[in-house]
Amino acid sequence: MSSELYRCVYYSRNLIAGGPARIAEEIESILAAARRNNPRLSITGALLFNRGLFAQVLEGPCESVETLFEKILRDERHGDIQVLAFTASSGRLFSNWSMAFLGRSREDENLFGHIGRQTGFSTERIAGDRLLEIVRHLAYEEEARAA
Amino acid sequence: MGVVSVIRTVDLLEPPACGNAPGAADDHDLSQGKARLTLAAFMAIDIGLALISPEGEIVMTNPTFDLAFGTIPSKQLLSRFGFDPSYDGGKASRPIIFPDERIYWIDITGFPDGWLISAADISERLRQGIAGVELSRIDRLTQLANRLVFHERLADLLTQPADVRCDAAVLTIDLDRFKAINDTLGRTIGDALLCLVAKRISSALAPSDVLARLDADEFGVIQMGRDQPEASVTLAKRLVDLLSRPYLLEGQLINVSAFVGIALLDDADIDVDGVLKNADLALHRAKQERYAGYRVFESAMDESMRARRALETDLRRALALREFSLVYQPQVNLQSRRVAGFEALLRWRCPTRGPVSPLDFIPIAEETGIIGPIGEWVLRTACRDAASWPGDYMVAVNISAIQFANRSLVATVVSALADSGLDPRRLELEITESVMLDSRGNALGVLQQLRGLGVRVSLDDFGTGYSSLGYLRSFPFDKIKIDQSFVREASEDPGNRAIVRAIASLGASLGMATVAEGVETEDQLARVAADGCTDVQGYLISRPIPPGEIEHFLAESRNVIDAATEVSL
Repeated sequence: MSSELYRCVYYSRNLIAGGPARIAEEIESILAAARRNNPRLSITGALLFNRGLFAQVLEGPCESVETLFEKILRDERHGDIQVLAFTASSGRLFSNWSMAFLGRSREDENLFGHIGRQTGFSTERIAGDRLLEIVRHLAYEEEARAA
Repeated sequence: MGVVSVIRTVDLLEPPACGNAPGAADDHDLSQGKARLTLAAFMAIDIGLALISPEGEIVMTNPTFDLAFGTIPSKQLLSRFGFDPSYDGGKASRPIIFPDERIYWIDITGFPDGWLISAADISERLRQGIAGVELSRIDRLTQLANRLVFHERLADLLTQPADVRCDAAVLTIDLDRFKAINDTLGRTIGDALLCLVAKRISSALAPSDVLARLDADEFGVIQMGRDQPEASVTLAKRLVDLLSRPYLLEGQLINVSAFVGIALLDDADIDVDGVLKNADLALHRAKQERYAGYRVFESAMDESMRARRALETDLRRALALREFSLVYQPQVNLQSRRVAGFEALLRWRCPTRGPVSPLDFIPIAEETGIIGPIGEWVLRTACRDAASWPGDYMVAVNISAIQFANRSLVATVVSALADSGLDPRRLELEITESVMLDSRGNALGVLQQLRGLGVRVSLDDFGTGYSSLGYLRSFPFDKIKIDQSFVREASEDPGNRAIVRAIASLGASLGMATVAEGVETEDQLARVAADGCTDVQGYLISRPIPPGEIEHFLAESRNVIDAATEVSL
C-alpha cells in the first residue's frame, strides 16, 4: 500500500444532542482522542465545527488516513458524511493537528473560540484554498440550519 | 499377514544350521527368496518399524524408524511408546506426540517371539484434518463465520421456546452493484471492501449477535434477546447508514449502498431455509424500493414473488409452445407520404392468462435472461416475415440492453439475415439508451459491428430517461424515435412541444430521421409535422397488424395515408 502523503477533506452533520455544556464536553473528548492518536499515525489536519457541522482535513500516509477515516466514520456523534476530496498531495497544509470553531454565532464563538487558539489553528496556509472556502460556506449554512 | 512373515524371515536370515535335511534345498531357496523380498519391503516401507526381542531389546529397525527416532536412546524411546514387556494383551494402538510436535500413530503387536512396533507419522494428515474442520467454518477473506455456522446457529435458535424465538430476528445484508466494483476496480479492491464492510457490520452489533458471510457480498446477522421488530429495524437503519458511508481504500474513494432484509422468527413452523428465504425476499423488496434501504418481511411479499415466479414458469414454456406472435405497426414518411417500414411488436397469448402485456412480461424476461431466446426468435421471425413482403420496406426490431450485453448478438443478426435472405439495409435495430448505459463501453463496438453489416440502428424512447446528447454524438444513429408521451401530451403542454421541436431539429442537423411515436389524432400529426419530424407511427395511420394482413394493408395504404394526411398536411 502506498505510503505517499494523502489528504482527505470531508464534512458531516453534527449529531451531538444537548446544550452548550454537552457540546463542549464532546468537543473536549474528540480533542483528547485526536491528540492521543494522531501523532502515532503521522496525521496532521484540522477539525472545524459548529452546532450544525463538522468539517475535517486529514493529512498523512495513505494507510493512516484510511485507517483513521474508517474509525471516525463509525462515530455516532456525526452522520451524512460526504467526502469532498481524497487525493495524493505534495505537501501538508497543516503542520500539526488543530481544531477550531467555524461559525458566525457570537454566542458559540465565546463558548468555543478558545479551542482554535489553544490548538494553534491557523488559516495562513489554507487561505485561498477553494475546497476550504466551500467548507466555510457549508459550515455557515449548516450552522444556520441547526440554530 | 506380512508382519508375521517379517518375524519369521528374521529367523531365516540367521546363518543356516549345518546338515540340512535331504530335499530341503529347494524349500530353502524358495524361503530365502521370500525372505529377501520381505526384508526389502521392511526396509523400504515409509512406516517406522522396529522388532523387539522377548527381553524387551530393539533387535532390528528400518530406515524410516531410524530417521524419526534414531537420536533417542532406546530405553527412553520404548518407554515413550508406552511399551511394556509384561503386557501380553495382543495389539495396543495409540497416538503419541513427540516434542518436535510430530504426531505418530503407534501400534505394538505381540508375537510369541517378540513384538513389532510400527510408527506412522500422522502429523500432516491430522493438521489438515483439524485445520480443515476449522476452515470449513470460517470465511477466509473476512475471518467471519460462514454460511454453515450461520445455518447451525439459526437451527439451534429455531428449537428454542417461542418467547426466545420471538425476541430474535435474522437480517441479510447485501451491497448494491458490488459486482460492478469488482469488475471496474479489480478483485483486490473488491476483497478489501468486503473486509471493511465486515468490520463496519461488526462494529454495529451487540456481543450476543451472530454475524456470518453468507455469499460473495451477502452477510447475515442473527439478533437475539431484543424486542422485535423494533431492535432489528434500528439495527437495519444503522447498517444501511454505516455501510453506505464512503470508503477510502488504497487511495481511492468508493461509494456503495447497502440493503437489508429482516425476517422475524415468530412463525412456529418455519425452518432455516424458510427464514433465510423470507429475509432474502425482504432484501429483494428493499432493493426494488431503494428509498429506505431495508424492509421487514411480510407474507404479501411471498405472494407477489410467487405470482412473479408463476409468470416466469409460463414465460419459459411460451416459446416452445409457440404462444408468441409478432404484429407490425407501419411507419410513414411525411415527405413521400409512403410507408417506410414496420416496427415488429411482440405479443403473448397465454392459454391460461389470455393476452399478457409486454409491460408485464418483458421486465421478467429481462431479469431472468429468458429475453435471450425470445429476442432471437423475434429477430429471426421478423427478418423472415419482412423478406416475404412485396417491396423493400424496412423492419424495425427492438433489442434490449440484456441482449446487447450478450456477445452473440452480432452472430445472431448475421445468421437471421442469412437464413431469411433479407437485405441488411432493410433491418433496423431499435435500442434504448440503457444499452449505452449498461454495457460499459462494449455497446459502441457492437453498434459499429452491426453498422458494418449494413444494418440500421435507431435510438428508441428518446426524451425519457437521461436523453444524453452525448449518446447522439457517440454514435451516428440512423433515426431517433421520440417517445409517445411527448407527442400525446404536446397539446396540453407547450414544454413538451418545445422538446419535440428541439429533438427534430437536432436530428435534422445530425442527419438523423426523427419518428414521432403514438400519433393518434390529426391534430397531433399536424403538430409533429410542423415541428419538423420526418416520420410518424401510431393509431392514426394504423394499429399494429398481423403478418398475414400486411399485403392487404400495403395495397390500401395509399388511400389510408392520404385519408390521414389530407387534412393535416
